Amino acid sequence: LLTAPLPQERGGNNSFTHEALTLKYKLDNQFELVFVVGFQKILTLTYVDKLIDDVHKEFRDKYRNEFQQKGALGLLNGTFDFKDDFMRLLRDAEESSRVRAPTVMKTFEQSLKSQKTVKCMIETRGEKPKEKVKNKKNKGSKKEGTEAAAAPSKASGGDKQPSAAGDKEELTKDEILQKNREEFFRRHMKAGEKSRSPKPDAQKEKGKKPRVWDLGNSNAKVLDYSNSATNGSAEACPVEEFDPDMALGDKNREPGRLYDLEYESEDETEEEKVVQNTSKPSAKKGGLGGMFGMLKGLVGSKSLTREDMDPVLEKMKDHLIAKNVAAEIAVQLCESVAKKLEGKVMGTFTTVTSTVKQALQEALVQILQPQRRVDVLRDVMDAQRHRRPYVVTFCGVNGVGKSTNLAKISFWLIENGFSVLIAACDTFRAGAVEQLRTHTRRLNALHPPESHSGRTMVQLYEKGYGKDAAGIAMEAISYARNQGFDVVLVDTAGRMQDNAPLMTALAKLIAVNAPDLVLFVGEALVGNEAVDQLVKFNKALADHSMAQTPRLIDGIVLTKFDTIDDKVGAAISMTYITSKPIVFVGTGQTYCDLRSLNAKAVVTALMKA
Amino acid sequence: MAGGLEPDLAALRRELSGPAALSVLLALIAVAVTFLIWRFVQGRRSSRKAVLLLGLCDAGKTLLFARLLSGRYRDTQTSITDSSATYRVSRDKSTSVTLIDLPGHESLRLQFLERFKAAARAIVFVVDSVAFQREVKDVAEFLYQVLVDGTILKNAPALLIACNKQDVTMAKSAKLIQQQLEKELNTLRVTRSAAPTSLDSSGGPAQLGKKGKDFDFSQLPMKVEFVECSARGSKGEEGDADLEGLEKWLVKVA
Repeated sequence: LLTAPLPQERGGNNSFTHEALTLKYKLDNQFELVFVVGFQKILTLTYVDKLIDDVHKEFRDKYRNEFQQKGALGLLNGTFDFKDDFMRLLRDAEESSRVRAPTVMKTFEQSLKSQKTVKCMIETRGEKPKEKVKNKKNKGSKKEGTEAAAAPSKASGGDKQPSAAGDKEELTKDEILQKNREEFFRRHMKAGEKSRSPKPDAQKEKGKKPRVWDLGNSNAKVLDYSNSATNGSAEACPVEEFDPDMALGDKNREPGRLYDLEYESEDETEEEKVVQNTSKPSAKKGGLGGMFGMLKGLVGSKSLTREDMDPVLEKMKDHLIAKNVAAEIAVQLCESVAKKLEGKVMGTFTTVTSTVKQALQEALVQILQPQRRVDVLRDVMDAQRHRRPYVVTFCGVNGVGKSTNLAKISFWLIENGFSVLIAACDTFRAGAVEQLRTHTRRLNALHPPESHSGRTMVQLYEKGYGKDAAGIAMEAISYARNQGFDVVLVDTAGRMQDNAPLMTALAKLIAVNAPDLVLFVGEALVGNEAVDQLVKFNKALADHSMAQTPRLIDGIVLTKFDTIDDKVGAAISMTYITSKPIVFVGTGQTYCDLRSLNAKAVVTALMKA
Repeated sequence: MAGGLEPDLAALRRELSGPAALSVLLALIAVAVTFLIWRFVQGRRSSRKAVLLLGLCDAGKTLLFARLLSGRYRDTQTSITDSSATYRVSRDKSTSVTLIDLPGHESLRLQFLERFKAAARAIVFVVDSVAFQREVKDVAEFLYQVLVDGTILKNAPALLIACNKQDVTMAKSAKLIQQQLEKELNTLRVTRSAAPTSLDSSGGPAQLGKKGKDFDFSQLPMKVEFVECSARGSKGEEGDADLEGLEKWLVKVA
């Protein structure tokens, strides 16, 4: 647990599985403690969360003095005689879980629960008017109206406690809905507004039950309904059908303009209205208290709570996504930072924003400096000593720059005095072999054999097109061993990660030839795709290898770095997924455009506003 | 308000115009100067009062830390954060240093080193003598990173390479470790300086030792010593640790 998820900023989740055990953990950031509960994976113990919370509270209260006063010495010298307390807590937790079990089986409770969930469904629909607007067209808006009408009717009919609490909310939501609906109609329809209102009321009785079951796209059902219903609806229908504005849409709109564009802006305004409505009451409440709270937070030691951090984290997450970090990774990162900072005591004159920013910056630097740095030259020297060639394989999707960066890396190796054999295992793309031949000729012109004591520094090993790539690679490696080449660079064809037969072929090439270094070439322009690419590549390599410990991707080459100015998030996404380092960075198309990654510079560029 | 101040200022000036004024002014200056000196001295003293315990994972840093401070054996886990405490160097002298134990995990070590390197008066680099053969490259790489760091080159803190785990029979001796490290660092400085330059082309890694000659620890600007020690002690968990060399060196350094 300690070596993998926590240092690598994957601490967002609360549990961690390792072999046959599941470990649930909780961090106490104030005193820097970690509480871990381990149990067998096959058991599902419901009381674990509660147990860990109880243990945490008791331990903290009992030894609070020791921590506060003596610091590290206290930890070392104190004897923590917690065993009896722990056994007691464990027994309590087990008993409480046993007591709870029988009551769940009552059917009456089941029905209550089912009623509640139905209610929840309706409530949540009311809370998200923007979703409804997005999903449905004009005809769907009728459903909204019926929903809104159905909800208050149900609220008035319902007499349980949850409904009483929810009543207030629903009324405000209803207000919101009404307002939104009116705006919506006003924009799209000139007439027929009044005829709408009696229709929802008429349909509310019949509309209750089936509507509960479909949460989306049920335009057809609603339409059916209105056609076969009472007289009021029937006469309103044709009016609606033939309303020219309705059929053609907004008259003010240009003919060629896409409907979606307007839709979205409308969504946004709706969203804003909803946000404003909900934020206004809270702002009014928090006005005076907020000012004092701000002053209090500036001086003195306040411990961080989730609510304090949430708005800042949201902003940070959006900032990261704007800088081209994959969305899920940004979310996970923010979660992990939140977990690390929860309950931590801030120093004087530090705001929540600065603490969170600091923590996020540290986390990002940590991610970019992962395990063992791949030092290619060192490893090549090692292989030289053992008299065997050092094999590097380049893989990646189409068009990321594998062949170009292969040429750059071979130039760098030649500059350092190693002889290179390029194996052209891209037997599919037209011109791949010729491209590599041109590079070979150029490199040999730059470093002629005379200046390197008579041996050619670069040579190309190719067998034309259409042959099996794994076979060519194997022959190239044995040729290199015979001829005494120091490095073999294997160029493979670009392939999409979803293409199963091609991924199998790549996995076979890597499994059979056992290269020393497998480099994944990815471009810096990629966004959320990076996650998918790397995950699928790694999976394919792991699935198709026969060995116990499969060869996975060992390093990443980040290409086309000069095309992004400071949207460097792809670096973070890639290293986070694989936890392998970025070995090279390609910044152009000439031979000298090869760099290594500077973690601090990248993180500064990322955190810059 | 300005009008109110003016008569006050005038009154003050009148009061101060006597010899009293001079003494008041002198007193103020004296206070300010002592304050500055005190701040300066304390800054100098406290800025470099720390002894850092560095090393790879499982080298024995945390156990060494516990032994030096409390003399007792504790079961330790992989550290994920630093621990610091003041250590009284010897019984008669009252000098003490702050021992800081940093985690050895790859993702964390550089970050914590950044934080504490400016305060380092001395560095204890703990090496696992038993697993040294296997880990020689990683040890050398971390040592190299520590040695070429700009702040550390500037301050040149004393460096002690503690070859830990000598209680195990297969442990390598300090001389052997020194030779191997010198060889490894020799190759490393060639490969590292040949690596592609950094993205923002911040100056390349500093040159370690003298060019042309093989790398030797005596070429470094700081004093380097090798010492053998065992945090666990030859008698197992109950007995004392063999920390003589380490403690003597700490006395020298403090």
